[in-house]
Amino acid sequence: MSSAGETESGEGKGGGRSSPYFLLKWIFRAMGLLLLVLLARALTHPDGDSVVLSLYPKFQPGQIIAGLFSHGNSAFVLSFLVYAVLTALFGRFFCAFLCPLGAGLEAAVLLRGFAKPKGYSYRRSGIWRSVVPFSLLLLFWAGITFPYGALEPYSVVAGAGYFGFRPSLALLVVLGSGYFLGRGFCNFLCPTGFILRLLSRRSLFGMRFKEGCVSCGKCAKACPASCVDYRNRKLDAGRCVLCLECASLCPAGTLSYGREAKAALGKAAAAKTDAAKTDAGKVLRRRAFLVRGALGAAAAAAYLTGEKARAEMLPELRRFPVLPPGALSLAHLNAHCTLCHTCLRACPNQALHPCENMDLALWRKPVLVAARGFCQYECVKCTRVCPTGALVRISVEEKRVWRLAQVRLKKESCVVITRETSCGACAEICPTGAVYMADGLIPGRPEPYVKPEYCVGCGACQKVCPVEPMPAIWISGLKYQDMLAQRAPKAEGPDAVLEDFPF
Amino acid sequence: MKRRTFLKGVAGGAAALGLSSASQGVVPALAQEARFPDLVAVRGDSLTAMFDRALSALGGLERYVQKGETVLVKPNMGWAVPPELAANTNPELVSHIVKNLLNLGAGKVYVFDNTCDNWAAAYRESGLEKAAKEAGATVAPGNDSGYYQGVDVPGAKYLERMELHELYLEADKIINVPVLKNHGGAKVTAAMKNLMGAVWSRGPLHRLGLDETIPELLLYKKPTLNVVDAFRVMLSGGPRGRGDSKYLAGRMLIASEDAVAADAAACAVIGVTGVDAPDYIRNAAERGLGASDLSRLNIQRLTA
Repeated sequence: MSSAGETESGEGKGGGRSSPYFLLKWIFRAMGLLLLVLLARALTHPDGDSVVLSLYPKFQPGQIIAGLFSHGNSAFVLSFLVYAVLTALFGRFFCAFLCPLGAGLEAAVLLRGFAKPKGYSYRRSGIWRSVVPFSLLLLFWAGITFPYGALEPYSVVAGAGYFGFRPSLALLVVLGSGYFLGRGFCNFLCPTGFILRLLSRRSLFGMRFKEGCVSCGKCAKACPASCVDYRNRKLDAGRCVLCLECASLCPAGTLSYGREAKAALGKAAAAKTDAAKTDAGKVLRRRAFLVRGALGAAAAAAYLTGEKARAEMLPELRRFPVLPPGALSLAHLNAHCTLCHTCLRACPNQALHPCENMDLALWRKPVLVAARGFCQYECVKCTRVCPTGALVRISVEEKRVWRLAQVRLKKESCVVITRETSCGACAEICPTGAVYMADGLIPGRPEPYVKPEYCVGCGACQKVCPVEPMPAIWISGLKYQDMLAQRAPKAEGPDAVLEDFPF
Repeated sequence: MKRRTFLKGVAGGAAALGLSSASQGVVPALAQEARFPDLVAVRGDSLTAMFDRALSALGGLERYVQKGETVLVKPNMGWAVPPELAANTNPELVSHIVKNLLNLGAGKVYVFDNTCDNWAAAYRESGLEKAAKEAGATVAPGNDSGYYQGVDVPGAKYLERMELHELYLEADKIINVPVLKNHGGAKVTAAMKNLMGAVWSRGPLHRLGLDETIPELLLYKKPTLNVVDAFRVMLSGGPRGRGDSKYLAGRMLIASEDAVAADAAACAVIGVTGVDAPDYIRNAAERGLGASDLSRLNIQRLTA
């Protein structure tokens, strides 16, 4: 901006306020600011139903990347693929106007423009730019997430918003970096920027030099990402955040957004193959291969370490969903289920629902949601209506011992313990005697106990448990449905007899 | 003699005052005409005969229900198990009561329960839907929150607001016909506990404590008459019953206007008395909702 005055009087077409890029640059900044203001408002005016808060983070690639590696479910995979394809095609549009921190950084860049008209200069790319963000990702994959959150744009802004945008260290560091380094943050600290940089290195569209450059150097001076090498008429597309400073200043109008000219492409390819043929080129290629291999191995090691921890932390309910009776296993259900949902309609207890997990193996598959209804003992209706045999026909006799899930009891959450009251709702409804009340810590105050060997996993106990929000007793899915080896023993002998009036 | 009549009159007046302020439950029992017992217990081989014997001792059904009145008969039919397992009220007894009410000229007789098992299965398997329908009752569903209305409960400490079934609210008279059973959480279930089947959301009762909340079921509206089926009594594994449930051949029917007294007698049948008795009976008596001390009641023991 500071140099806008100079270029006004500049020669020829393009450059200055007459350039369409000048207008676009301000449109991008305005969009970034508008989104930031919306987010800031939502963050500082707590409202449980805030649309902004429920949508905004879901479109943040930094959050998508985090979700991708900690859940790996298909919602994240799909969102990430969309971002990856768009970024590979069009460059780092996210950094231009969608990043909440980008708007703040642009403000710092503007401020610097007033104070230090000297501007920026081109800096070479190098592997050192990846050290911090790659380490953050390694730590995140390994299960240590807070360093990632300290520099991931949405987390920085939302975290600051929680404290009403009081000047915090993170905020000062990030915005200070904007003042001193322009968009340098985006290219050697930001983990989102790192991933987007890799994706956009050879983007189809981007800022390109056309014929007619006069080598005035204004573009390089104006580039807050220090990615314009005007001497060689090259621009590092990976680092370019599409702020459009360069194009809006270019007096000759040679810098513009578009595809690489075919001639230039051919030339670059030829140069590359020539370079590769030299010995030095071979050494460089080998070195690059080894470095990449080592980094990949480190990433894999970190991810596997973290994955083990994550698998242990994942609730059992998520590991194996509770499938309808007769589904046998998720693999069997997936091999036969056409998602017709007839079983859902047939269930008299409305216990079956389309799975809301976005994992492709589960999405819309019929699952038992015990919180809404339990599997009625001796009921086999769903297995009778299934048209494809995804739910195999089982008899009522088999259903009595058909194990859908296993019961879990967290007694320290039970109201008998926490409130010292009588309850027994779980034992009351248990059809098999797997859950029962017996004396516990307090005399005369029966506590629930479970005999897993009698449990068919119907979920009735979970449905009626009054503990909120997580029930004290619940069912967790099994990898394979099976049949109980035994049922609770039958009482033998005649009823006891009441001889006389006991009162 | 004259002084005695005078005192009786005073007591009756006090009872009337008590009734009008609807704050005391014990006073009417004290002031009751002496010729009718507080509680009748009948032993025999047939529940229907035992019911007839009990009601004749209590002065007949017509003492409780007038012609043209709408009556709710509230059995326990919470479980999808056959009648012989005695997890639900005996269908023959319910059928007999419905028939008697209609013979008496009751306008309409309703039967429903908010079941624990799937409602259609419980209505069917318990045999109660068929029995009540054949006897002429209207069997109403209780499986949707739409049938229940929120009411403010006067004097409640825990359940200031309850969602009660519209039939429970609208019926002129309520005949509470529970089955006596062991209960995993509440220890014993009979008259008071059976009223939980008229409430939509049972979560709060369990959460706040059954012993504290069950007595409050009597606060909004008390049943006109409680008839406890103690013919075959589940002694363990209740309330649903399990394969290893033990039973007692109780061969008894308990009838009383006082649900607390009926529960106290029921506990004696099941053998849970003294300090072992459920706290909800003690709590109900302490809050003046009924009498739990059987030794101070006029009990008639009969055989049919």
